Amino acid sequence: MRGPTRMKVAAAAGSVALLLAACSSSSSGGTGSTSVAGQTVNIWSSMDQPIIDGLSAKLDPAAKALGITVKWTKVDNINQIIATKVQANAAPDIAMVPQPGVIQQLKAHVTPLDDVVDVAALKQSYIPGVLDTATFDGKLYGLLVSANIKGLIFYPKKVWEAKGYTAPTTIDELNALTDKIKADGITPWCAGIESGSGTGWPATDWLENLVLRYGGIGTYNDWISHKVKFDSPVVTQAGEEMAKLLFTAGNVPGGQAAIASTSFQTAGTPMFTQPKPGCFLYSQGSFITAFFPKDIQADLPANVGVFGMPPVKAGGDNPVEGGGDTAAIFKDSPAARAVMKLLAATDLGATAATNGSSFLSPHKDFPITGYKSTLTQEYAKVAYAATGFGFDASDAMPGTVGAGSFWKQMTAWVSGSTDLSSALKAIDGSWPAG
Amino acid sequence: MFLKGLSAILTVLAGIGVALVLYWILNKVAELLPGKWEDRIKPYAYIAPAFLAITVYLIYPALRTFVLSFMNADSTKFVGTKNYTDLLSSSDFQQTLFNTLLWIAIVPAATIVLGLAVGILADHLRPGAEKLSKTIIFLPMAISAVGAATVWRFIYAYNPPGQPQVGLLNSIWTSLGGQPVPWLAQETLHFNSILLMVMMLWMQIGFSMVLLSAAIKGVPTESLEAARIDGANERQIFGRVIIPQIKGTIVTVFVTVTIGVMKIFDIVYVMTNGNFNTNVVGVDFFNQLFTNLNNGAAASIVAMLTVAVIPIMIYQVRNFRAEEAAR
Repeated sequence: MRGPTRMKVAAAAGSVALLLAACSSSSSGGTGSTSVAGQTVNIWSSMDQPIIDGLSAKLDPAAKALGITVKWTKVDNINQIIATKVQANAAPDIAMVPQPGVIQQLKAHVTPLDDVVDVAALKQSYIPGVLDTATFDGKLYGLLVSANIKGLIFYPKKVWEAKGYTAPTTIDELNALTDKIKADGITPWCAGIESGSGTGWPATDWLENLVLRYGGIGTYNDWISHKVKFDSPVVTQAGEEMAKLLFTAGNVPGGQAAIASTSFQTAGTPMFTQPKPGCFLYSQGSFITAFFPKDIQADLPANVGVFGMPPVKAGGDNPVEGGGDTAAIFKDSPAARAVMKLLAATDLGATAATNGSSFLSPHKDFPITGYKSTLTQEYAKVAYAATGFGFDASDAMPGTVGAGSFWKQMTAWVSGSTDLSSALKAIDGSWPAG
Repeated sequence: MFLKGLSAILTVLAGIGVALVLYWILNKVAELLPGKWEDRIKPYAYIAPAFLAITVYLIYPALRTFVLSFMNADSTKFVGTKNYTDLLSSSDFQQTLFNTLLWIAIVPAATIVLGLAVGILADHLRPGAEKLSKTIIFLPMAISAVGAATVWRFIYAYNPPGQPQVGLLNSIWTSLGGQPVPWLAQETLHFNSILLMVMMLWMQIGFSMVLLSAAIKGVPTESLEAARIDGANERQIFGRVIIPQIKGTIVTVFVTVTIGVMKIFDIVYVMTNGNFNTNVVGVDFFNQLFTNLNNGAAASIVAMLTVAVIPIMIYQVRNFRAEEAAR
């Protein structure tokens, strides 16, 4: 997720808390009707229009068969709007929010899905851990409909193939690959964490991905809830590995001092300079290809290769960090429940996967060959091979940390004005009391 | 669209109508009183609505902020002076205060000096050239700070060595043989803060120039001629004749810019968000309130800022009164 959106997300989570503290209105009741025929179900989401179009193409006919009309509206900033609409008793039947924390804070107004969908079957169908991101106090409140993943490592495919490199399967192999690229006379890593007033977030993604690998999904989730401190062996280990890959002299263009001043949008551009790449590996989320140069974007699968940040041990625990849009029922009715069931289907994404959108299905039983773009197929391979799904930690932490001290301290550490231990201690110190 | 426009017009008309009716009623009520009382009460009847509006929209929030500054993050419990002691003892906030002081020490003085210089030099140009140069220097005033930041980001932009330097400063620097420098991350001697101040000066000099230049033109030619007849040179005329006569304007510009600088937010927020040790009080306030959701800390920053601004405002009011009296 890009910086500005993440700030809005954090602000939204905060405003939700304020709104709920300020007043608490009664939740909207069911319609009482048992027949769903002739009903209209409103869905609101903020995902890109091509994804909505693709999903609607499958959803509308299935709903029509039940006599339900689905009205799917794209709204800006659903994270912020939904809280206001719930307070005003004007919520849509179903909303898809990028931020599970918003659903958690509004859960008194959200219908639990345990009786609506077949949870056991979904557990088999989804990437492991996906259901946990919207499970609060033992109840399932939302379903991930569209996913995205982070911690992908992009590289210029043509040079990669010419040099005969292979994708690393462990972090040790990633270190070895870094050294090998460097020995071949190429700066191994691209890095940039500058993002205007959101500077620092790309560095948090780096650290999060490494914490997820070193600590596993359990420790990662404990870290989000601050049961595991920033100043702890596992986070320190992740930070040291990040420093080893990026801060070692000659590993990034311009050295460590350049990272904090290089825009995350353009940091990957030198991968494609001719005749020799200015840098080679760039770790970012799947959205970053939209910032690559125009001529590269014209044929992404031919120009860009990708692998997932490798696990500590091959064949062992291999979690992935990601996000996405989670659907929840904000106005209960039999028709809304029927539509929710349809949204849980694996083949819902069949059209969205081929219509040129950036859609990635969170169902690991979705056929990889079902994606038209071979690059998306690569993302899917990384996502579906995962043994766990960790939601973006800085988005899930309180805004004071997740959009505040975590960004700031990472920026100070990356720019060299503080050391890792002081930075981690300062983040712990900023964690809100209670 | 049409309905929206109509409702906007109706709202404005209704607002003016209600205000007129209100004053008419108050006037009538005052007229009901016996003659002497009518004269005593009437001024208050006219000033009361405005006074009430200021109380509700300015004084009440200010007092409320002051109260909140002694409460915890979500304003549910009194915590005494904890917000103040926490802030003043944190090294981050001390740096923030120091940076703000640096802004106060440099920007208002530089604005006056540069504005005065431009005003004087432009005064010696032909009328056409004077208008053109003043217009160009005044132009940045018309740009919003965020828009200006977009321009200045291109000036300070950095790319690692080996890549084309799109930043103006770095492309000049590298063409002279230097290595590209991440300008906004240069913390040594607060160089990056000074680069941000340059941006502020670029925006503010037009304001200073217009006021000072008008004041210079307002100096009576008789006094200048008298000084020349007495044998004063140009420097003496400037220092001893012009400056004393435009002192009031200088103070006004100085105070206005000082207060503006104390509240400086947009430039720093957009350019660095306070990273690389460029944080200032205004940005810290914003982040405390909207990122950290800490009402207490945010309110105590504002309270301190208000207390710091008051003496400057008193000075400005006194100065203004002295000028009026002298006239």
